[in-house]
Amino acid sequence: MKYLFGFLTLLTVLIWLAVFASPSGNLHLVACNVGEGDAILAVFRNFQILVDGGPNSRVLDCLSRHLPFWDREIEVVVLTHPDKDHYGGLIEVFKRYQVDNFLSNGLDAGTLAYEVLEKEVGGKGIREAAAKKGTRVRVGEIYLDILSPEEAKKEAESNDNSLVIDLKYGNFEAVLTGDAPKEILNKISVNVPLDYLKLSHHGSKTGTDAFTLANFMPKLVVISVGKNNYGHPNEEVLKILEEGKIKTLRTDEKGDIEVTSDGKRFWIQK
Amino acid sequence: MKIKNYIIWLVLFLLVIFRYFSTRPIFRDGDLIRVASRVSAEPVQYTNARRLILAGLKIYLPKYPEVGYGDRVVIEGVVAGGQLKKPRLISVEREGGILFRLRQRLIAFYRFVLPEPHASLVAGIVLGSKSQISESFWQSLKNSGAAHVVVASGMNVTFVAGFLIAVLALYLPRKKALIPAVIGIWLYAVLSGFEAPIIRAAAMTTLAFWAQAVGKVSFAWEILLFSALVMLAVKPSWLNDTGFILTYVATSSLMLFSGRIKRLFGFLPKATVFFNEGLITSLAAQIGVAPILFVTFGQFNLFSPLINALILWTVPLIMIIGAIGGIVGLVVPVVGRLILLIVYPLTWWFTMIISI
Repeated sequence: MKYLFGFLTLLTVLIWLAVFASPSGNLHLVACNVGEGDAILAVFRNFQILVDGGPNSRVLDCLSRHLPFWDREIEVVVLTHPDKDHYGGLIEVFKRYQVDNFLSNGLDAGTLAYEVLEKEVGGKGIREAAAKKGTRVRVGEIYLDILSPEEAKKEAESNDNSLVIDLKYGNFEAVLTGDAPKEILNKISVNVPLDYLKLSHHGSKTGTDAFTLANFMPKLVVISVGKNNYGHPNEEVLKILEEGKIKTLRTDEKGDIEVTSDGKRFWIQK
Repeated sequence: MKIKNYIIWLVLFLLVIFRYFSTRPIFRDGDLIRVASRVSAEPVQYTNARRLILAGLKIYLPKYPEVGYGDRVVIEGVVAGGQLKKPRLISVEREGGILFRLRQRLIAFYRFVLPEPHASLVAGIVLGSKSQISESFWQSLKNSGAAHVVVASGMNVTFVAGFLIAVLALYLPRKKALIPAVIGIWLYAVLSGFEAPIIRAAAMTTLAFWAQAVGKVSFAWEILLFSALVMLAVKPSWLNDTGFILTYVATSSLMLFSGRIKRLFGFLPKATVFFNEGLITSLAAQIGVAPILFVTFGQFNLFSPLINALILWTVPLIMIIGAIGGIVGLVVPVVGRLILLIVYPLTWWFTMIISI
């Protein structure tokens, strides 16, 4: 009797927790605070897309914060390019979540850690696909359009092969740039002004200059960055952003940055 | 006390001293050595590295390929100040026994079913596994004085012993139930990482059961000292192990003070019995443990007994539901998953309290 009472109490609390954890009917775009690296999570109802996984398992904490606790399925994981600060955390993600699709630029890092990742993807039977310019993915009501590269080349710099992703939900549009160089970004054309730009390469000057910002005319710029020895984000880049009076948020200052959109307008979640 | 007893104590004591001096490592700084060994305790995890201790040397390895408790490894490196520098992992063999594999599969299942930090919390409470606890969660555990719950601690063994005796006593006379219970306790000790606190508790429980079985009056202090000496005779390096020291200080402190504190808190209402027990136990243990924690980790939380009182009642429940959910889950994942979800309100409460 006592046990039954305890069991029912737990069940009731569980149901209440589940109710409170249920996602809303809006799009939530979260730049995870994973230190120096990238991990961007898009959540729409029960659908999730994770773009890059940061350098280590810190991405798991972000997933725990923004996914309902019972949801162990991530519909799409995208790796923009196989650098450690983008794929490192994905190994644990593949181990712990049921990932349905894995999208990458088709190249591999040639490191021991990346071998572990490939084994995990292969062993779980996750659907794999290589993406390039023109690839389109639909998840729920979210569309991903790949804007670059034309063709990933083994002999090119890893960042040159970085996938650039145009994420659309209704009229809301975000460009996730990975570590793509400004030479590539400056040639891309999207609808301007753009709602959301994930600044390339943690705010490095290799990824952004005045032309880049003029090209996208972003309403909001997000920099995914942590403690590092490269001088990210670059002083000059920050100065251009300030001069342009562009609203800029940094993960090393704000933690997870969550933007919500109903498909018409968007706002920053406090 | 009879002469014979004195001699036993003396021999044991001398044996510890002899073992201490005879097992000290023979290599010097600058030596290039190759260590081939089984990983006998769970490696400590950092964000970008993991640390193991083999042959008395600290070894920092990259995260991948993974090396875990029970694996057979061969590592080459240069000795420098108690560390093996420039380590090169030559081979890792996961051919662990059935218990190691069971442990790994259970932990993997928790991680697959529950989000962090709940998965780590359940794995820590059920199996003493502290690998993959995120740094931020570990920090709040330490700050609130609740870290003992997730590291392998003697409390787990006490629960297992109590549970086994209660179940076995349904089918066997009490005296006969003791033997399978002792076997069960030691199986659990291996399963949960075979670290000093677990072994301490398992050894003391075994000795207490043995005293019961042969009808001897047992003295808690004798059992405490005897188990400590036997452990040190087997592995003298435990003398420098914080876990070893903490578990013995905590136990002594409990034995000394819990009776008195219980009398002191006689005014607490009966209705909050869960809360009271946690408060009394952690207060009694803190008296001895707090100074050591302060010296080794530089921290001490005045509210720690209160925090412990608020969360300790969830621990046996998490342990039982977690164990059942995990074992069922290895056979029928869907059912195991449903059982484990029942644990979520408890771990939610636990994580909420310690992060305040």
